[in-house]
Amino acid sequence: MDDFLQNLPDMVDEIKAMRDMIITNIVLIGQTPAPTFKEKRRSMVFMERMAEFGVDEVTTDGYRNPIGIIRGASPEKPPIFVVAHLDTFFDRDIVHNYTIKKDTITGPGILDNSLGVGVMLSLPIIFQRLELGFESDIVLAGVIQSIGKGNLRGVRHLLKTWSTPIRGGICIEGVELGRLNYFSDGMIRGEIECSISENKGGKFKYPVNAILILNEIINEIMNLRLSQRPRSQIVIGKISGGANHGKIAHDANMGFEIRSDSYKMVKSIYRDIKDIVDGIGHENEVDLNIKTISNLRASRLKFNHPLVKSAASVLHSLGIKPISKSTESALSIFLSRKIPTVTLGITHGENYYAVNATAEIEPMFKGIAQVIGVLKSIDHGVCDEHQLA
Amino acid sequence: MNTNWLDKNTFHHSAFSDLNQLVDVKQQRNVTISLCLPTLNEEKTIAKEIIIMKSELMTRYPLIDELVVIDSGSTDNTAEIAKSFGADVHDANDILPRLEKFKGKGENLWKALYITRGDIIIYLDADIKNIHHRFAYGLIGPLLLHNHIKYAKAFYDRPISIGKNKIRPTGGGRVTELVIRPLFSLFFPELTQIIQPLSGEYAGFREIFEKIPFPIGYGIETSMILDIYERWGLDVIAQVDLDRRIHRNQDTKALGRMSFAILKTFINRQKRLGLIQLKNQFFDEIIQYNLVDSQYKPDVMKIVGHERPPIIEIPEYCEKFNISN
Repeated sequence: MDDFLQNLPDMVDEIKAMRDMIITNIVLIGQTPAPTFKEKRRSMVFMERMAEFGVDEVTTDGYRNPIGIIRGASPEKPPIFVVAHLDTFFDRDIVHNYTIKKDTITGPGILDNSLGVGVMLSLPIIFQRLELGFESDIVLAGVIQSIGKGNLRGVRHLLKTWSTPIRGGICIEGVELGRLNYFSDGMIRGEIECSISENKGGKFKYPVNAILILNEIINEIMNLRLSQRPRSQIVIGKISGGANHGKIAHDANMGFEIRSDSYKMVKSIYRDIKDIVDGIGHENEVDLNIKTISNLRASRLKFNHPLVKSAASVLHSLGIKPISKSTESALSIFLSRKIPTVTLGITHGENYYAVNATAEIEPMFKGIAQVIGVLKSIDHGVCDEHQLA
Repeated sequence: MNTNWLDKNTFHHSAFSDLNQLVDVKQQRNVTISLCLPTLNEEKTIAKEIIIMKSELMTRYPLIDELVVIDSGSTDNTAEIAKSFGADVHDANDILPRLEKFKGKGENLWKALYITRGDIIIYLDADIKNIHHRFAYGLIGPLLLHNHIKYAKAFYDRPISIGKNKIRPTGGGRVTELVIRPLFSLFFPELTQIIQPLSGEYAGFREIFEKIPFPIGYGIETSMILDIYERWGLDVIAQVDLDRRIHRNQDTKALGRMSFAILKTFINRQKRLGLIQLKNQFFDEIIQYNLVDSQYKPDVMKIVGHERPPIIEIPEYCEKFNISN
């Protein structure tokens, strides 16, 4: 394994020689719109390409997550999973045409996560050209219904229904190269909606304003005392409401996220917010609803887990400085099922969630080399001795 | 009128998606294939076309033997980007320098005949936003798999870009419906079966292209159809449904200029065939009006409508390809 790591930097140039094929995969995937819950067309492209590349088995699971399986040399070894979420934030009617310049690729959804999917799609050809074989089966899964209201349903179903043990996993994200995620905070993502009937304001001198009601709720949330340990945080992420400048707003809604090391603490804070909502709704006689959009339990690998240490070595060997933060993604589903897994980013970019999101081409080749390095580490057994408690 | 052509010679690109089969037939027939991209300030789309075509139809499947960009003097980074992604880039002015220089798509296509070596040449516009390798293999397919077909032309749904990031599902094809189809209906009803005679994507055998003249500008697509039809008949032509092509929306004035050039090309050919007689010579200028400060002011543009002769009449070409006239 040490020899392999030593030679990993040389592999970057060999991967770079496959630039056209890798970019083609990114573009063909990225130009096929895949808003959450409408990923079918992108799934078809994914499977067609996998089949063209001669992947041993191309199929979907019961939830229609598209999957390609590269058979390993030792059938008795459990498979290693590589996943990238297929869905993006952009609707179908947004122009999904990518622009390639000398050093960059630009287009909606490229960073989250068309580049990740395109790279995953390229792995079978890269393995063939570099003559890389594995002991385990490699399962390449483009998971659907991940972001927002999708609530990671695709990956949840994939892992829940997979019939054999899983040796380890890698989640691929487009950016940022250097991320080495191995823990997830507990999280609840919720929405609060305020609705006031048009007649409601008639009996008050000053009619009730839905935006001001939400403002009151935000003020009360800001008054909550959050613990330092377990570390906790509330993010008010979005807010909208009203019709125009001079009209009392009859509808308003806001989105928030509670994060903490402890899921128990997350639930406790959610209950506090629900009490605030109920109280303000009662006092102002308005319709206030709070609902959960998605939730995750806190889960983690220890920082000295062999997979984390090995992944950090791989990154170092390529001259990449590892950066570790919590991530609310497929990783948490793997970890909650006791499957040692890390999330890796492929390249650098900017304007992450805009239609002109831009990815850098050159760093991508190191990003792919690190994925291969970590895959090889798992295949060599770094996850085998230290299963999660 | 031959009304069977539409059924017999219309294909869908999916009929040619077995690229291994196309490569096998190409080798059996011992033909070579060149892809030409004519460019003028296409830095936003050129790289994508080159990368996808090279990756899919040169590296993964050896269907295309060379990829050539013929540039009309772009002032943006088109040439530099194309070179950086491995295309063989030529400035149109540097090709056959002995001849008078013209600027236009037709000029680039004509000069590509001198630069390329393939028995089959595919011409693709370089501004296709949703480029996919089907644009090339879909056009190569009928030429390789049907011996009688010598020229294949694309048609497709034509959503057009509106505003910065939105597309409209239908539209485009205005010059076709308002100019070309009425003309074809009047003079050559058979040709109305060609769904999109102005599509900028087509492929054909060199033996055809080298024997027809090339207007240097907008008239190239119309003249090509008329000349091939006149000389070899409709049965050598095929059309291929490429599904969807997203392109830039042009304003009405630009379409007016395009129509002017096409009308000129069309009527010139009618004259040559003796189908119509003109008592006076054409004018060379299209006059359009703009409202400026409450006054209508003419906007005059000269469109001469030069044509290159069949390239087989050019000595340098004959010398390069060992052709003795």
